[in-house]
This record gives sequence, structure tokens and C-alpha cells, in this order.
Amino acid sequence: MFFKMFLRSFFIQAGWNYERFQNLGFAFCLQPALEKIYPDRAKLKAAMLRHLQIFNTQPYMASFVLGNVASIEEKAAAGPDQEACLKTMPGVKQALASSFASIGDRIFWGRLKPMTAQVCLLVWAAGGFYGWLFTGLNTKVSVWLLMAGPVAGIVFYSAFAVHWRWYGLKSGYVCGGSASCGLDSANWPRLIRVLSTAGFLMSVAIALTAFGMLAALNYNSGRPGDVFLRIALPVGVLALHRITRALGKSVFFAAGLVLAFSVLLFSVFGMRPFRLYI
Amino acid sequence: MITVIKTVLSAALSGLLGLDAVQAGQFLLSRPAFVGPLLGWLNGCPLEGARLGILLELLYIDFIPVGGVVPPNGTAAAAVGVLAHSAGGLAPSLSFFLGLAAGRSYSYIEYQLRASRSPWNAVIEAQVAAGDIFLRRWLVKAMLIENAVMGAYVLAWAALAACISYLPGLSRLYPGTDFAYSLMPWLGLSGLYFRFRTQIYKKR
Repeated sequence: MFFKMFLRSFFIQAGWNYERFQNLGFAFCLQPALEKIYPDRAKLKAAMLRHLQIFNTQPYMASFVLGNVASIEEKAAAGPDQEACLKTMPGVKQALASSFASIGDRIFWGRLKPMTAQVCLLVWAAGGFYGWLFTGLNTKVSVWLLMAGPVAGIVFYSAFAVHWRWYGLKSGYVCGGSASCGLDSANWPRLIRVLSTAGFLMSVAIALTAFGMLAALNYNSGRPGDVFLRIALPVGVLALHRITRALGKSVFFAAGLVLAFSVLLFSVFGMRPFRLYI
Repeated sequence: MITVIKTVLSAALSGLLGLDAVQAGQFLLSRPAFVGPLLGWLNGCPLEGARLGILLELLYIDFIPVGGVVPPNGTAAAAVGVLAHSAGGLAPSLSFFLGLAAGRSYSYIEYQLRASRSPWNAVIEAQVAAGDIFLRRWLVKAMLIENAVMGAYVLAWAALAACISYLPGLSRLYPGTDFAYSLMPWLGLSGLYFRFRTQIYKKR
């Protein structure tokens, strides 16, 4: 039952819709448990209808709610007062969905996902590939190294995702029935803090390496003014992004500005183009 | 002919990988950092594919899919970017910006697809109430539609890129797009930096 639910949990968002969000996926994931709990077809039907109602949470953390709800359904089916047991279920489901959505969004979307890009860049750097930083620079690099970067990021991320999907299911089932079930299964604030700090340090390391590479490529390359311009431009882009963020604009706005000015200067006014490296 | 076959297959593959973004798995196989080099490899330009992919990835880090928000689609962006270069014959710089626009505009289509599934609820409830609890077919249907739409979308943009490549005077645009493209890694790096800096800053 657990393994089937675990496998199905990978499709929890397959039927995502604006009316009831993950309801189809949730009912689909819970189906193996409900089929085991309710051999009677009429009761199974009623249980399925109960879980086709609105539901939304962070997809990886949904396992905590799935395990919990399976446990509540089991207790309700076995206990003398099914009505009373099931009455508390929507509240528990809602409370857990909201709490785990908040935790999951911060861990997975806010931290781990950007960290996969960092892992990719670090693997490439370890393999001696910096070609992504200097467009137009043709470097010889093996396809395996190019693929190894993103694959390493995926493995890093998926290890967390798969772990929490499985662990959440088990842990939710064990403490099922409580609206705080599973919330103490990890020191979430500490985990979030550690990931933030690790991500920030990696960002700084990558940025410093990038500027170091830029300085190295331009070292001894002629007039100091040219070198200064080539280092000042990326710094200017950073400042532009900071300003557009402060104005509440997305990165597309900054990219659009850079494109518009570049096309204007080099394509329309015909200024002589140059590269960031010599 | 081989280029056409490769492009169609790449579009179909991107449709399949695109499912990973929301509907199936969510292992991040749909991220541009992976889609870019993979499609680049299949289409004979792994370096440009990897470059386009990671730059799109760094820019797309800015968007978080919380609370039902439909962020720009990285799979569509990377697939269009790579195919615009490999099949459409555009310079990598213009392909990149075309991919960026394609990813951005796909979020509108994705919104429509999600909205189109809302009326299914009443039908499914009636079906379950009638004793048919076979929900899998609805989920498979949703994924097939999404897969087909993404594949067709990528193919349409690749065709558009091929048409653009015949525009007269296009080469005059390249000095500008090349220069803007050379600054994109730095914009991406700043995105990476500010994503975590904000978190550290908020913490204190």
C-alpha cells in the first residue's frame, strides 16, 4: 500500500486545476489505501468523493498529509464512531497542507532548486569548464562534462525530494490524526537556515570566481581604461538588477533593458562592438 | 530532412521533459540547465545548448512556483533556444532571447491548460458517484494534452526561428544581441546572489 502511494505521489499534480488544485492527484494517491481500508464498494466511493474536494500543498510535502489522512481513514473505518472521526479530518488536512506548503516552498523552491544550478556550475568548474561565462568563447569540452553538471544537480535535489516523499508518508501515517503531525519530524528552521547560508556562500564563491576569471582574461591586455570598462560592465549589470528588483520588476525587465540598449548602440548607431575578454 | 526529423523529435522530447515541471516526477529534468545541453547534444551543438540552458536557468531562478502561480516555462525556453540555433540557423544570442520570450509566453498557455481542467471536477465526481473510481485516465489525459501542446509550441517557435533567419539585414542585429548575450551570465549571477542574499538578510 505504502509503495503504491509513494509511486503515485510523483503524479500528485498531474491533474492540477484552478478550481480544486491538487484534488485529483490527492485522491489518486490515496486510492490504494482507501481500497484496502474499505472493501465495501459504497464506502470506497464515499471516501473517494471526500478526497476529491479542494486540496493544495507543496508537492513533495504532500506525503505527510497523505500518510496522515490514510491513518485517519483507517481509524475511522475500524472505530465505533466513524462520523466523529471523519468530522475532524478536513480541518487536519487543511492545517497540515498549509503548514507543509510553507515549509516545502522555502526548502525546495526557495533554496534547493537554485542550489541545483550552483551544483551544476561547481561541477563544471571542477572539470575546468568556464565557457558558460564567456559567450562567444569557443572552448573544447566533453559532452560528458556538460551533462555531468546538470545531472549532479538533479541527483542532489532528487535525493532530498525522494527522501521527504517516502519519509513523509511513513511519518504522517504513524502520527496520523493530529493537526501537528510530522511538523516536528525535522528541525525545519535550522534546515532552512543551513540551506540559506550554504546557498549564499556558494553564490559568493561562484561570483568571486567569475570576476576572478574575468580579471585573469583581461590581465595585461593593454590600456587600463579598456580593462576597467570590461570589469565595470558586469558590475553595472549587477547594479541594474538590484535596482530593477527594488522597483519590483522581474529579471526579464533587466534583460530587456540590456538587450534594448545593446541593439540601440551596436546595431542601430553602429558603435564598434567589443567583448568582455581580450 | 535529417534536421527536420531531429527537430520534431526534440520537440516531442521537450514535451515529455516538460511534464516533469509540474505533472510528473518533479525531479528537475524539465529545468533549462538539463534540457539545454541534452537537446544541444542531440542536435549537434552541446556547448551552445549547455550555455543557453544554464543562462536561462540562472535567469529563471528569479521565479518561484508558489500558490498556483504559473512561472515562465524553462523547458520551452531552453528547447526553443536550442532549436532556434540548431534548426532555425539563428545566432546563439538571438536564439537565447527568442527562448526567453518563448518561455515567458508559454506561462499564458499553461494557465489556460490548467483552467481548462477545472470543469473536469464535476464530471469526475459524477463518474465516481456512479461507481467508476478509475481516476488514472483523467491524469493520463491531462498529461497527454500538456505533452502535445508543449511539443507543438516548441515546433512552432522553431519554425518561426527558421523564418526569421531569412529576414534581410538580420546580421545587422547580431552585434547588439551578441553584446547583450555576453552580459547575461552576469545578470544570471546577480540573480543567484540576490536570491540567497535576501534570505540571509531577512533572517537577521
